[in-house]
Amino acid sequence: MDKLPEIKIKNGKKYFYKFTPIQRVQHITIAISVLVLVLTGMPLKFYDAFWAPYIYALFGGIKIAPVVHKIAGTVLMLLFCFHLIYVVYSIFTDLIIPLNRKGLLRVGTVLKSLLTHPIMPSFKDVRDIVDLLKYLLFLTNKRPAGDKFTWKEKFDYWAPFWGIVIMVSTGMIMWQKELATKLLPGDVINFALIAHSDEALLAALFLIIWHFYNVHFSTSVFPMGTVFITGYLPEHLMVEEHYEYYEKVMKAAGLEHEMLAPDGSAVNESKQAFEAAREESIADIPGVS
Amino acid sequence: MFIVSFWAGFLIITFSMPAIADAADIGNCLLCHKYPGLSRVDEGGNFRLLYVNEDIFNKSVHAKVKCEGCHPDIQKIPHEPAKKVDCLTQCHIIEPSSEKKFSHKDVADFLAASVHAKLDPKGQSKKYPEDIPTCKNCHDNPLYRPLSFFKQVRPGISEAAIGRCRVCHKSDEFIYRFYNHVTTRLHKIRNPRNISEVCAKCHDDPEVVARHDLTTRAAFSYGESFHGKAAHFLDERIPDCLDCHVKPGESVHQMLSHTDPNSITHPNNKLNSCSNMDCHPRATPKLADYKTHAEFNLAQDPVQYYFQVFFITLTGGTLLPLMGLMFLDLIRRLFPNAALKRSKKING
Repeated sequence: MDKLPEIKIKNGKKYFYKFTPIQRVQHITIAISVLVLVLTGMPLKFYDAFWAPYIYALFGGIKIAPVVHKIAGTVLMLLFCFHLIYVVYSIFTDLIIPLNRKGLLRVGTVLKSLLTHPIMPSFKDVRDIVDLLKYLLFLTNKRPAGDKFTWKEKFDYWAPFWGIVIMVSTGMIMWQKELATKLLPGDVINFALIAHSDEALLAALFLIIWHFYNVHFSTSVFPMGTVFITGYLPEHLMVEEHYEYYEKVMKAAGLEHEMLAPDGSAVNESKQAFEAAREESIADIPGVS
Repeated sequence: MFIVSFWAGFLIITFSMPAIADAADIGNCLLCHKYPGLSRVDEGGNFRLLYVNEDIFNKSVHAKVKCEGCHPDIQKIPHEPAKKVDCLTQCHIIEPSSEKKFSHKDVADFLAASVHAKLDPKGQSKKYPEDIPTCKNCHDNPLYRPLSFFKQVRPGISEAAIGRCRVCHKSDEFIYRFYNHVTTRLHKIRNPRNISEVCAKCHDDPEVVARHDLTTRAAFSYGESFHGKAAHFLDERIPDCLDCHVKPGESVHQMLSHTDPNSITHPNNKLNSCSNMDCHPRATPKLADYKTHAEFNLAQDPVQYYFQVFFITLTGGTLLPLMGLMFLDLIRRLFPNAALKRSKKING
């Protein structure tokens, strides 16, 4: 596959490459399977709720909905297996082979490049969270300058990662209970039910409240961020959330002169001079500043 | 399928109405009891509705029983306040196999040997005998619920089957009653949800549970299991209380305590219940140890309880801070440049 350009310009607007086609397909698969799982699972958890029979009926009621749930669960499980293979393959092609070419293939270097991979949590995330709190609490007007993946996105990746491990393993225990109890005590099914049901609620609320806010309802993206379809992030979102990465990409592309300021405004000398003058004049007024 | 069901339904209504419209009301009791408002306040101060809906009664399993069959104390009209119905009365019809007068006495014998007996095995009265159920605690006068192998959508009288009956039997009244009787008995007369609701009347009452040292609110904990939830959504194939608490082939009145070695719920026998060919034929002994009546509370199982607390804490611990950030973000977006301390350097 041809490598897609890092920056695409369409109708005078810049878009920044973020997700590869294979990543987008994985995202859409997980999105659909999880939505189906939530819709066929929650009516069972909250069987007493007034809406439960209606949602359940949409999926064929008690005879069919559990089958739909298992199919969607299998899709999610296969996706997770595929993702693990994909991750190993990516580590191999993106980290190990280049290191080998450079003759640097050692345990230390591999570990280092794994730990500094953009998706791995880092100290910068802690700094960004502190900076975000400062911004949100009106201590500064400066947003944290995120790298390729912000702490929010890392959370969105690693939380479901752990979630899927829990959901798939406990789901399989309850589905294949005869097989599971050949080895494990019967109580495990009780624990599997608790874990499956409670982790599902956590995951569903996390997605519907937090993820949907960030990608649908936040005023920056409403009604929907399009990067999960196009793979390209619009410039204003890049500036808002990923300023550090934005600087890197723009400089690498030789577009420093077109870079926007962290608040999204165009930077040029006359404007800077104007703003500086305004700042001074405000400072001159007694009682202000 | 819809059209077939529609016509089948139409035919049932058209044909069944005249067929079962003849009441067992030889004593003309409905002369008064047909009036919906017929009621009075009895000596105990309780409001009693004395109305009998003939249509409903004629579709019930006791449709052929004359009023006097269950109310033998009523000899003339108008009558004195009627005595309570005793279900063991040798009452009404001739039981065809023995050609003797029918009574529910066998049921009383089963019950007397079960966990629901008023007397313990030594013949002593149990503690709190008033809590022990009698017939009417669990039974009302149930409606016929005919089963049909021809109708996939819902049970009901199969006109195809009735047609075959008509080859030999001439009286439609007989055909419908016999069909109803046999096919109703071939499956559960109540769906699993109803059964659990019947048991819940006593077994979910915290006071009864405490008085009799029971380990669980049975219908509540059943409702928390997949079986109970499927029953809640009106699945007919799911096991209800009776399926696991009575040996298949025995009367449900022969229910035994789980401490009785003959009981299907005894730890040594539980596996037979789970591994029934229609349920989990590959069930293992460990699967049978699964806590079917788990309430997930501290008193019943502290480990399960704290396991649950862990997840609830994790949920709260994750979502509340994130929702806090969302809330702050919403406010912050209203005032994008309102920091308390303005930075000296613009764009900085």
